[in-house]
Amino acid sequence: MVGAADEILRFEDLSFKYMGLDLPTLQNVNLSMRKGEIAVLAGASGSGKTTLLRCINGLIPHIYPGEYSGRVVVDGLVAQDTPTYELAKKIGFLFQNPENQIFMFTVERDIAFGLENLGVERSEIARRVDESLKLLSIEDLRNRSPSELSDGQKQRVAIAGALAMGPELLVLDEPTSLLDPRAATDVVALVKELNAELGLSVLLVEHRLELVAPIADQLIIMSGGRIWKSGPPVEVLASEGIHEVGLSAPTVVELQRQLRALGRWPGKIDLSVDAFYSEAKETWR
Amino acid sequence: MVALDDVSLEVDKGEVLAIVGGNGAGKTTLLKHLNGLLKPTSGSVKVFGKETKEQSVAELSRKIGLVFQNSDHQLFSETAESEVLFGLKNFGFSEADAVRRAGEVFSYFGLDSLRQRAPLTLSGGEKKRLCIAAVMAWNPEVLVLDEPTVGQDYLSKGRILDTIRQLVAAEKTVLVVSHDLEFLWPLDARTVVMMGGKVVADGDSQTVFSDSPLLEGAGLKQPQLVTISKLFGRSPSFRDVSDAANWLSRR
Amino acid sequence: MAHLLADGLRFRHQDTMIHRLDPRIKLLISIALFSVALLSSNLSQLAVAFGAIIVPAALARSLRRLGKVMSVSLTFAVFIFIINLVFGYGFLKSATLTLRFMAIVASTSLFFVTTSPDELEYVMRWFRLPRDFVFAFVTAVRFVPVLMLDLTQIIDAQKSRGLELDRGGPVKRLRNLIPVLIPLIVNALVRSGELAEAMESRGYGAVKKPTSLYTLRLASRDYAALSMTVAAWASILLSFGVLAQT
Repeated sequence: MVGAADEILRFEDLSFKYMGLDLPTLQNVNLSMRKGEIAVLAGASGSGKTTLLRCINGLIPHIYPGEYSGRVVVDGLVAQDTPTYELAKKIGFLFQNPENQIFMFTVERDIAFGLENLGVERSEIARRVDESLKLLSIEDLRNRSPSELSDGQKQRVAIAGALAMGPELLVLDEPTSLLDPRAATDVVALVKELNAELGLSVLLVEHRLELVAPIADQLIIMSGGRIWKSGPPVEVLASEGIHEVGLSAPTVVELQRQLRALGRWPGKIDLSVDAFYSEAKETWR
Repeated sequence: MVALDDVSLEVDKGEVLAIVGGNGAGKTTLLKHLNGLLKPTSGSVKVFGKETKEQSVAELSRKIGLVFQNSDHQLFSETAESEVLFGLKNFGFSEADAVRRAGEVFSYFGLDSLRQRAPLTLSGGEKKRLCIAAVMAWNPEVLVLDEPTVGQDYLSKGRILDTIRQLVAAEKTVLVVSHDLEFLWPLDARTVVMMGGKVVADGDSQTVFSDSPLLEGAGLKQPQLVTISKLFGRSPSFRDVSDAANWLSRR
Repeated sequence: MAHLLADGLRFRHQDTMIHRLDPRIKLLISIALFSVALLSSNLSQLAVAFGAIIVPAALARSLRRLGKVMSVSLTFAVFIFIINLVFGYGFLKSATLTLRFMAIVASTSLFFVTTSPDELEYVMRWFRLPRDFVFAFVTAVRFVPVLMLDLTQIIDAQKSRGLELDRGGPVKRLRNLIPVLIPLIVNALVRSGELAEAMESRGYGAVKKPTSLYTLRLASRDYAALSMTVAAWASILLSFGVLAQT
């Protein structure tokens, strides 16, 4: 058992260069996530987010070899020294396109897939499948074929399949990128619910910061393979130079930041438009 | 199940039109009627006054360039340049003409550095802009973009917006299909809202984007600047954060 | 034509007494019909063979589906007929051989039409085929509709760039397939890479012998079908003895 008891994830000075590339993709990454926390990881394309995620579930270095230095600790396990299937028990990993992580012909069997792989006993599999279906409110999809489902539904199926394995940490790679606003809001609410109900730690990679900042305990911004800034979302979003790293804060935050620069916003910065408005009324009355 | 239900729409030359709605609202189905990929089961679709039923997809595509959502469904050549030449050759341009136009379009969109790169190695944003350039190379009158911002990061969206503005300034007719209202807001385009295969609204962006119940019903998110403007009783809504900051700082 | 074949062989869920049978029994029925077709050496035996095929096909409400598959194999059938004639086998003999071919096609198709890919997987596992192989097969079948959708989208995109797939001589038409095949293949490869990562994340390979949510178990109707199949099989083979002279 390595690391602090209430820490779910830690990166210790991690650097990584893919075999065959000239430049490292990750440089001296230091990061920490507490158990039960929702952390959002953001960064422009090419900033190293996907590579970082692969270091968590062991795809790096087990599947993608390269020059690896530093350490990644996931709930006491050192990722580099642990086989991917052991890490799979701790980490539920959701990729960007739900289609490419649904293997079976029916929803039910797909959710069971991970458990079958782990050699779990049949009645236990059945129990966990029932539980996952219920948790994600997709009981009516049990016998459906995945190709008939909507994108939002497919995503729920993928999440159910990951949750059935009983992970401590859920990692989602840009879950809203292919979804329309309604489905995107739904999935963010779902993540919040799972975190609240199950105490699941969540690491979310996301572009649409206005959607996820409100649920985040920690916002981490990457640029050029390094961590540019991390901390409470509002603080990070209101930082100078956020545009230079290829990101944009939600409009309401940007507005308050500019007002602050003009000397007209002494108070704290709010993430929600309504909160901003109430505070504005107070401040300027 | 009907994908499009009694849709009536007229678009003038040189107009910029935004078609918005959630996934499954029928937007892509509508677009496919514009270049003849789909022909209507009933009713008519006329492009430049002529029925699409009487024309082939190739004929129509010459006048109406469609850029689909997924760039990876189009790119196949060895270099970005040959990618652009592909469409030109299909439409019968001579070798000399095609090369000249390709060169022009790379400069016009600021993509000169990508000319000899393999399309499959480009970033998402670069691929998207390459696809737009490839279509504009044969200079269709109308450009149609299907969800150009899906999967793109902030920088890339900015570049795509600039590209659209460039084309609008060049008096092209541009149709943009999107569910990303934050992206569309600065364009100030006539906006059509679709829901369940029907057109449920058609007006200027100020009117449409301010209609909160309409947007919510259609599964869309109101741009924050519009919400903020409405709360402070400011009409028309701010198009730009700096404008909003300046105005508010004077209150 | 490829459409018809893919469509005809694709399993569609139906609730008939045949569909409800254990897939191993369905396989047995097909094997029985196949062997009967193979052993038919004259027209009266063939008539019995076809009759034997039509009965379960009708019970499975799949006659039309089977008809589609047959219409596709018709070209091959004609080809076989002509070849046999050319080699001097005479009209009757050639016709017999051709019909036998069609009976074989029909008997094997019946299995695929009445068995879901799911059940196919269970049968393959029951035969103790290597797990990786079974998994690869299952995933391939699962992604067929996905890739077909990719294909239509790619064709739409390339047609919108002026590509005309239905024009030109055979060489041009083949060349025109390149802008369609390359994106299709590249996308399929990218998908498979993502699938591989997803498999790792779901613990694939953790255990030498993965467990299974469902297992095959024979019910009373399966035993009934089994006995009927064996009885019918035996009777048909006996009748062949009688019909051999005709």
